[in-house]
Amino acid sequence: MHLKVESLGKRYGIFPPSVTDLSFSLKHGELLGLLGPSGCGKTTTLRMISGLVSATSGKITVGGQDVTQLPTFRRNMGVMFQSYALFPHMTVAENVAFGLEMRKVPKDEIARRVASALALVHLEKVGERKPRQLSGGQQQRVALARALVIEPDILLLDEPLSNLDAKLRDNMRNEIRDIQQRLSITTVFVTHDQTEAMAICDRIVVMNGGKLEQMGTPREIYETPATPMVADFVGRINRLSGRWAGKDMVSLGESHIRVRNQGVEGNSVLVMVRPHRIRLVKHDQPEGATADNVVPGVLRQITYIGDTLQYAVEALGGIVLVDEATRFAASGHHPGDRVLLCWAAGDTLTFDMVTPQ
Amino acid sequence: MNDTPARGVEEKAGPGSSLLLTLLLPIIIVNIIAFVMPVANLAAMSFREAASTGSLSDVVSLKVWASLLEDSYYWSIAWRTIWLGVLITIITLILSYPIALFASRAERGRAVLIVLCISPLLLSAVVRTYGWMVILGEQGFLPALIRQVGFTPPRLINNEVGVVIGMTEILMPYMILSLLSGFGKLDVTLEQAAETLGANRFTVLRRIVLPLSLPGILLGSLLCFVLAVSSFITPKMLAGGRVALLATEIYDQAIVTLNWPLAACLSVLILTVFGAALLFYGQLTKIIE
Repeated sequence: MHLKVESLGKRYGIFPPSVTDLSFSLKHGELLGLLGPSGCGKTTTLRMISGLVSATSGKITVGGQDVTQLPTFRRNMGVMFQSYALFPHMTVAENVAFGLEMRKVPKDEIARRVASALALVHLEKVGERKPRQLSGGQQQRVALARALVIEPDILLLDEPLSNLDAKLRDNMRNEIRDIQQRLSITTVFVTHDQTEAMAICDRIVVMNGGKLEQMGTPREIYETPATPMVADFVGRINRLSGRWAGKDMVSLGESHIRVRNQGVEGNSVLVMVRPHRIRLVKHDQPEGATADNVVPGVLRQITYIGDTLQYAVEALGGIVLVDEATRFAASGHHPGDRVLLCWAAGDTLTFDMVTPQ
Repeated sequence: MNDTPARGVEEKAGPGSSLLLTLLLPIIIVNIIAFVMPVANLAAMSFREAASTGSLSDVVSLKVWASLLEDSYYWSIAWRTIWLGVLITIITLILSYPIALFASRAERGRAVLIVLCISPLLLSAVVRTYGWMVILGEQGFLPALIRQVGFTPPRLINNEVGVVIGMTEILMPYMILSLLSGFGKLDVTLEQAAETLGANRFTVLRRIVLPLSLPGILLGSLLCFVLAVSSFITPKMLAGGRVALLATEIYDQAIVTLNWPLAACLSVLILTVFGAALLFYGQLTKIIE
């Protein structure tokens, strides 16, 4: 079933609106991530789609039918809550059966469908237990089974992985994606974790301050962010401010660097480069420095975090961060060394600064 | 830290339990002097006899108990007490539940609402009962209003109706407080989850809210039943001596007739009713667990 959200808005009383003029749409079977910092309106958006919060403006359609005014219990959407919201006084099987009972499904069919839903999430054996007797990961599987068993038109996931520990989170993430693709169910996934969103979503909507910042595939969001906020939110990045010095040249302090896009000479510009796209070369080995941009600097700090080494280099009138995978980092840099930073023009993002005058 | 669980227990049982005992000692002493001893004394008294002057004989006998158990009058009092207690509890519960639910959900003024709900406790039950006498009395406000509308008012005072009305109002604050303590555990997302699964408002109330607030309901019911059975001022004033209950009968026997052994007997009987109520409560709590 496809889902369409048109210029959706929510305003609570006199406060600034939580969500403003938000539009996006999902094809049947698509997994869309709503990504943004806390308080950006992503959960409010999800709640408006489910009907738990009423929209102050805009329209929500499911499979062409307008559901904006429909109460939650008539919307046929499966919702998985951050706290799982399992009914503590019912057994696991009763929890999963609840939605089917509401739909007046015959008893024997309920039993069959509950069993197959529990099998889908690999929980065949815990049907008679109470939710509090299960681990966090198991509770989450029950919540997923309960949301899926009603064969919802839309599946809504509200930060489903945030209460799990890191290892379990990765497994569960892939499992959710696997089930979602097998059942080909249109899904909206709310998260504040960009890795999570990029790993499983077909497309991502990045929100900030109640507004849509950018919509696109994970690759588009990461490689060609539309705003500095998006670039900053989806991964570590260096920020440097400079001035356009030519068609595709920017002056940063003393140096001139080549960038991906073009701008108007003289305008101020924000330059952003991801730390792992920069290569570090020793100052006395300039023959290794073959790149669009080669900038000298002094190494100030090295941080070892296992799979990468993080360098802080004083260059371009500030500190530039460089990440290097440890398996390529046998070159032996030391703090205080003079180094060269090398990176491609294509990896240099630019954002024109809007000056008030 | 502890290698074996046994060692851990031992360590805990050492200084911890003596501290616990020290802290509990004052209340244990107070309870023995002010509760256990008087009740034992009362039970002992029920096995003695009283002369018409009120003086107690030193003979130990089962005569008073025998006369009590044989007399159908006392059985009828006991049944009326229990039946009215249950009725008052049920009506109090039905009237208090929506108020408590509303107060616990109120986004603004929640504290004010709760204070309003329990503010009647600031007034003595005697004063409130006088208020009901003015409202319900033959020439009172409510009968006058009913007469104005053109109906013959039913008798609202000096009978069981008056007792039920008065007791219900007196007990509602206790019920509301108990229910509120139970609603604390009720998570709104559970109701939202039920809604997303296709439950309408009424089904959410029946399948989610009510079952989850059962502990509060049971606690409030126990409290109100015990208070309803043991209260004697309100029944005495609103029944005008025409509805005999265990508590009022104890008062009459002890203060008016000066038959202390019989009063003691009835007191033990009322304690038995409380004990039964407590057992019943315990069983129900176990079932819903």
